[in-house]
Amino acid sequence: MWNKTKSLQLSIILVRVLFVFIPLLMLCVPVITEWYDAVYGEGIGLLGGRVALPLSICLYLAAVCGMVCLWALGRLLQNIRKDEVFTAANCKHLRVISWCCLLAAIPFGVFGIWRSLSFVVALAAAFFGLILRVLKNVFEKAVELKEENDYTI
Amino acid sequence: MPIIVNLDVMMAKRKISSGELAKKIDITPANLSILKTGKAKAIRFSTLEKICEILQCQPGDILEFREEEEET
Repeated sequence: MWNKTKSLQLSIILVRVLFVFIPLLMLCVPVITEWYDAVYGEGIGLLGGRVALPLSICLYLAAVCGMVCLWALGRLLQNIRKDEVFTAANCKHLRVISWCCLLAAIPFGVFGIWRSLSFVVALAAAFFGLILRVLKNVFEKAVELKEENDYTI
Repeated sequence: MPIIVNLDVMMAKRKISSGELAKKIDITPANLSILKTGKAKAIRFSTLEKICEILQCQPGDILEFREEEEET
């Protein structure tokens, strides 16, 4: 039977799988960018020409953000498993994840000069970062309220 | 915080232990310790009522307002 514990366990497993998958994917970046250049050589953007190098830099920078994000997600899930939900540590993890999304938007935004479609990815990442930032603010308030409640005798 | 909790003083006057008081007012010894050490952020009227009833005192005997001294 499916329950909350199994759902949490699945989230932890998915995060761990991605944590291993991203570095493996990064090893394939030269191949991916070369393939992209060969298949989508003529894309829409301010600058034309080969995009293998800027795309590689963009993907590597985004991967770093992704790895940090996954690490924070892992810590967050571990805390939730320990029934420590509304804590200052979790607020910090959410803040890290939010900043990672916002920072990941930068390389994609810059890559938009070569391929305009990349702006969509940058916008999505920035929007996601913003949503997480609001969630972090909600968490901060919840921590404050919980502390007040815990210290009301 | 400028509100001082003088619960330990009143407890000493009434010669009652923490464990006994916690049991009588139906709160955990840990919570009573939070109250005694001044870490509490608020106190429920119901708790205050029970403390006053058990210790036979007024809320003012337990809680005291003391202005914070400014650093010069």
